[in-house]
Amino acid sequence: MGRLFAALPGPYLLRLLLMVVLVVAVAVAVLSSYEWLGNLLDSGGGIE
Amino acid sequence: MSPGFLSFVRRLGWVLVWAGLYLLGFVAYELWGTDLLADRSQHRLDQQLAEILPLQQEKVEERFYDASTGRILAEKPSGQVETKPIQWEPTPAEAEGFGKIRIAKIGLDAVMVEGVQRETLKLGPGHMSSTPMPGQPGNAVLSGHRTTYGAPFADLEDLAVGDLIEVETATGLHTYQLREPPLVVKPTDIWVTDPREGAWLTLTTCHPKFSARQRLVVFAELVSGPNAASILES
Repeated sequence: MGRLFAALPGPYLLRLLLMVVLVVAVAVAVLSSYEWLGNLLDSGGGIE
Repeated sequence: MSPGFLSFVRRLGWVLVWAGLYLLGFVAYELWGTDLLADRSQHRLDQQLAEILPLQQEKVEERFYDASTGRILAEKPSGQVETKPIQWEPTPAEAEGFGKIRIAKIGLDAVMVEGVQRETLKLGPGHMSSTPMPGQPGNAVLSGHRTTYGAPFADLEDLAVGDLIEVETATGLHTYQLREPPLVVKPTDIWVTDPREGAWLTLTTCHPKFSARQRLVVFAELVSGPNAASILES
């Protein structure tokens, strides 16, 4: 994390903002993939 | 060993560590995270139900059940057609809680919600909107999760012929009794939702556990409740 933060361009506040955006984007992507994979294990039991 | 190979092994090691963390996170989310989300939804729905049920009860009307055609008529027909009065309630809005389902044998006590969309079923057992409301003539269909989101129908497989299912809605308390052992079908077997003579409750969930490959289905027939006499006598 520290190395990634240091590698980001711009002043400190901009890097902090980019870091927060990056963390949120990764969290959303991970949770979305969990939802998608979870549907393969248990889709809710509906008849389609 | 060459430095290039060592660098490759180091990178591969990190990829495997992150993959392991991802999978651990997935298992934790599926087994506990979704349960926490469902618990919160059920708690909120339970509180809302106290406000929603009286409003829904105001919408309950007396209608007339024609057993010969299976239709519910808004007004008593004149002439030779024999009908029985029943308590009728309209279908609630999508994702709205409208009643409770209780199955003592498997320790189920959950708020039912309207609809079977994926997002809706995360809240609790969902009523298929194209089928009659529970307690009405025909075949009311409810679907629910088996292993995630509170897993309301986790132990549906343990039910046997004769077991009772209680459903409480704006029209009152309806009791159903299992008439057949649980059945395994394909997810595309829509015949299980077909209308049935009398009043039935059909519960569907994923099968086997941790797979959405098949569906486990139970059929229960109405045995008591505000509409039971009218429907069973017809």
